[in-house]
Amino acid sequence: MTDHAVLLQQIINGLSLGAMYALLAIGFTLVYGILELINFAHFNVFMVGSFVGMWALELLGLSGQSRILTGLPLFGALAFAFIVAMLACGVLGVAIERFALRPLRTVSGTTGMITTIGVSYILFNVILLWAGADAKNYPNPMPAMHWPLGGAVIELRELLIWGIALVLMVGLHLFVSRTRLGKAMRATAQDAEAARMMGVDVDRVVVTAFFLGSALAGAAALIFGLYYNYTSFLIGYTAGLRAFTAAVLGGIGSVTGAMVGGIIIGLVETLGGQLIAVRWTDVIIFSILVLVLVFAPAGLMGRAAPTKS
Amino acid sequence: MTERERGMLGPSYAWLRQASPIQRLAPYVNPRVVIACVLIAALAFPPIVRNDGDIDAAANALSFAALALGLNIVVGFAGLLDLGYAAFFAIGAYTYGALASYQIQPAWSGFWEPFRWLDLVSRLHQAGGDTVHFQVSFWLMLPISAAVAAFFGVLFGAPTLRLKGDYLAIVTLGFGEIVPIVARNTPAITNGAAGLNGVAAPQLFGWSFGIDATPYYYVGVALVAFLILTSTRLKFSRVGRAWMAIREDEIAAAAMGVNRVRFKLLAFAIGAAFAGATGTLYVAKLQTATPEMFMFPVSVMILVMIVFGGIGSVWGVVVGAVILQILQSWFLEDLSQWLHALGRLIDVAWLQRVELAPSIELIFGTILVFMMLYRRQGLIPAVRAMPALTLAEQTAHVTRIGTGEIAAPAGLGDGERREDPKLLDIAGLTVRFGGLVALRSVALTVPAHGVVAVIGPNGSGKSTLFNAMTGLVPADAGTIRFAGADITRLPPHRVLERGIARTFQNLRLFPSLSVLENVMIGMHARLQTGPVGALLRLPATRREEEEARERAREILRLFGNRLLPRLDHVVSSLSYANRRRVEIARALAARPRLLLLDEPTAGMNPAETLELAEQIKSFNRIGLTIVLIEHKLDVVVNLAERVVVLDHGEKIAEGTPDAVRRDDEVVRAYLGRSAAVA
Repeated sequence: MTDHAVLLQQIINGLSLGAMYALLAIGFTLVYGILELINFAHFNVFMVGSFVGMWALELLGLSGQSRILTGLPLFGALAFAFIVAMLACGVLGVAIERFALRPLRTVSGTTGMITTIGVSYILFNVILLWAGADAKNYPNPMPAMHWPLGGAVIELRELLIWGIALVLMVGLHLFVSRTRLGKAMRATAQDAEAARMMGVDVDRVVVTAFFLGSALAGAAALIFGLYYNYTSFLIGYTAGLRAFTAAVLGGIGSVTGAMVGGIIIGLVETLGGQLIAVRWTDVIIFSILVLVLVFAPAGLMGRAAPTKS
Repeated sequence: MTERERGMLGPSYAWLRQASPIQRLAPYVNPRVVIACVLIAALAFPPIVRNDGDIDAAANALSFAALALGLNIVVGFAGLLDLGYAAFFAIGAYTYGALASYQIQPAWSGFWEPFRWLDLVSRLHQAGGDTVHFQVSFWLMLPISAAVAAFFGVLFGAPTLRLKGDYLAIVTLGFGEIVPIVARNTPAITNGAAGLNGVAAPQLFGWSFGIDATPYYYVGVALVAFLILTSTRLKFSRVGRAWMAIREDEIAAAAMGVNRVRFKLLAFAIGAAFAGATGTLYVAKLQTATPEMFMFPVSVMILVMIVFGGIGSVWGVVVGAVILQILQSWFLEDLSQWLHALGRLIDVAWLQRVELAPSIELIFGTILVFMMLYRRQGLIPAVRAMPALTLAEQTAHVTRIGTGEIAAPAGLGDGERREDPKLLDIAGLTVRFGGLVALRSVALTVPAHGVVAVIGPNGSGKSTLFNAMTGLVPADAGTIRFAGADITRLPPHRVLERGIARTFQNLRLFPSLSVLENVMIGMHARLQTGPVGALLRLPATRREEEEARERAREILRLFGNRLLPRLDHVVSSLSYANRRRVEIARALAARPRLLLLDEPTAGMNPAETLELAEQIKSFNRIGLTIVLIEHKLDVVVNLAERVVVLDHGEKIAEGTPDAVRRDDEVVRAYLGRSAAVA
């Protein structure tokens, strides 16, 4: 491969990772937009999602990369896995909100965030104790189809990932902008108190935000498994922190910002690894996180600097 | 049983009043006795236990207790949630590790000769030429590592100064991640992921500590004892009060004279220094250091310890750290063994296989969630429960202090007899919020000893005027001169130092601090004690503290028996009117020449309003200059010599209360055009 082609390939890879980070970042941004809460539990809701997706695929008799499906069976298997993982994560997110966070909603300060760190730890260790510490070979029924593109290759998995991410994000956008509940969400994000006085059921809005955000984390988790062909109890932290950086970079609270930020972080990861060194990738990403928060806390598309104390 | 409860029992239970000795039995334990017992137990532990493994675990527990104490300074005292605290632990560890091992070996040259003479380095004879071997003493490295970590504390703290709450936490998390990665990626200094090898053990009078845990344990006891002393002394000093003020309400802290930048950085530095010293001890004991020892889980573990023990509580965090460490190193192992034995006894296979030790992090997570949900104050809360007022105190006749009784307490009004027709001189003051002009070219002059009222409809810019005067809102144009000096661009704490103190329209007290503490924070700018003074607690410091306490009592005495019996009560438990009084007392404690009162009687009933108006008058009589924002016209007429009327950010009238009341422009602003015509 020429240098040019290598860069192109890294851009393709970056877009795939970016699509995953974007889906994960939306969960942070939805919850932050409404509750001004940084939800660390989201990291490991994502990780749990990858295990649920794996179990769903195994339920269909798939294991490792041994069995390849095409056509309708492939579509059906993936749809099944995505629906199961998204539903499971959505329910998990709602349960976390209901039992760990709702009692603390009126408590100011960092109490809520500390609680989500605790929840995240619980999820992390439950999976560790249950499934073990070893990395799991992820069932992947996708055929190894690929198409050349200017010296690089686009694989089927990239197309599928882009397609799924696009469908989900357009769906979310339509939900938020066109439906009654979506309008209630936007109103609550602007001013929860005023929304409540206008008759918006804020609890329902919060539950919806947690459900949608967590369900998208479930989709991102399955994409992670299908992309890297493995999962482990450890994946939540790194991916979660990168996605969080994406949300901050895009402007936390802004759904479009989360999508854009996700793509940028995906590209930074692959291109940064290519142009500088893989071992410094995390330092670059954390530096972006710190720099954006300190110098431009509104991010690319955020509404305003955070004011919560 | 308190007086109040007995009072509710009624006459038929009068016998209980005599019979109940419960009140006298309230346990009093001398804290010195407790400390002495804990210390003796700690010192006697190794000879009694004699098991090196257990002593080793206890030494580790002490290291974590020291870390918890450091994090407690940052999170508990100053309220800055740090999720990357392990970074400072790492910095301290690597500072010692690099300067007391064979990791860094520059070529020998004459430059190193003085250092060899000081016994900091030695000369290694090697095949490829002589090299330098660093062998700085452990005892010297304890303060050096602490200083290096403190430097990084300031470095990492500085960018976070403008951030609040969650965002600050995330930035610290970012730094906390970057440090171990940098350690892994710079093998020249840290030997990368493999970790430092052969870190020198400490020596004492030529005797090396080696790998025996006992000497490390004793160093740990000494370190923790020193850090407990430091924490306690800082907490109950001017420094600790400034930190807690920042934690409770940053804006109010600044308005009361606390230099936020300095005290936040001081908290980061001292917290980091604790971790730096601990890192040195930890690495000396382990004789290796790898990046994995300092990752996010370590930061979270320390956080769990202080949450468990009680955020802000010095003894609480030590107990929390020790309990969780011992749970981790002993108890889960033992419990697993017992379950295995039980399994064999009752012949249940899975009980014989169960291993609890790996679930420690699950337990940490569960502790974090449950403490947050059900006991946020922790095992040993930082805020002690206070005695309820007795029935006599609660129903006592309210004494008001007559104007004659105010004898210039605590230096109020001292030297205020100077005449100055323009004590405060504001000219052309303009403040914009985006497109909105909140103040347009406002001029205001207040003579010394004057009382000026600022009135105007809601949203007319009255509070913005106060905010601009006290540096909380930047002025876009115009000048504010006070006692002849330009104070337009001064930060809030400097404005207070010049002699302007204020209250807030919506009350900005430090809610979980006591009445006394609130008032003493008002004195911040008039006291000198710094961190070193607080730690050494020399006679001069002690005298200053005692005088401050006495002065606070005198100021509170201004409000008769309203506040004095509630001296140690948390202000959030007070009535609304009493909170207003505390805020005024806090402002008076700053010994201002000019007192700015923003709607001081808001929410008070007519009797309370009258009482307060009288008091404000007496403040003026003892030499204070007063500007007040007020809606109640009778108060304005009663108090003010001159009234300034603002409307839509512009001054529309100024004059005596009577003249202003008849001004057409004013009537129009308040009641609308048609009313003015009629």
